[in-house]
Amino acid sequence: MEEFIVFFVRYLHVICGIMWIGILWYFNFVQIPSMPKIPDEQKPAISKVIAPEALFWFRWGAAGTVFFGLILAAMNGYMHEAMTLQQPGIGFGMWLGLIMAFNVWFIIWPAQKIALGIVEADAAAKPAAGRRAMLFSRTNTMLSIPMLYSMISVQNPPGF
Amino acid sequence: MSKILESLPLTVVAGIVLTVIMVFATNQLESMNQSGPEKAISDLQKKMN
Repeated sequence: MEEFIVFFVRYLHVICGIMWIGILWYFNFVQIPSMPKIPDEQKPAISKVIAPEALFWFRWGAAGTVFFGLILAAMNGYMHEAMTLQQPGIGFGMWLGLIMAFNVWFIIWPAQKIALGIVEADAAAKPAAGRRAMLFSRTNTMLSIPMLYSMISVQNPPGF
Repeated sequence: MSKILESLPLTVVAGIVLTVIMVFATNQLESMNQSGPEKAISDLQKKMN
């Protein structure tokens, strides 16, 4: 039974991770490069409808990934070894994931709330907040590449 | 750094470079963390591969 619970927690961890990184890559590979090509009168469809909805699943996907990932590490008994890099294979991935989740909740989401007009802010603050959100979203895209390598290579050794 | 992050292709390249650095760092740390017998077995497994 315990084996099944570990499997199921890993399954939830992967589902949440796909939700999170899938939307992160949607933002960076699709939405941000496409915005300049969209006519001004159509931009509110993105900024008022699609982006807030995507940000909801994005940040809760990040929270779920970290939540189930930490439970998984605790159940498998490698939490301390991973976080202190005594098991660096998974440890680097965990640290990168935690940094990325911190960026989502404490930098990107607060900045997006200002940029998209979800909270009150003066007009001058919006472009700066939008740029901050974009740069940290790109930072997460950059970090997602080694993070995913770490997560996958632990279970599927690359053989070198 | 922001110049790299403003460009999507450069961001991806930077991610790949970070991955290579992480792989080397992981191998180094794993070697340092292994005890004598563990290292001997690991080296033998690598040779067999």
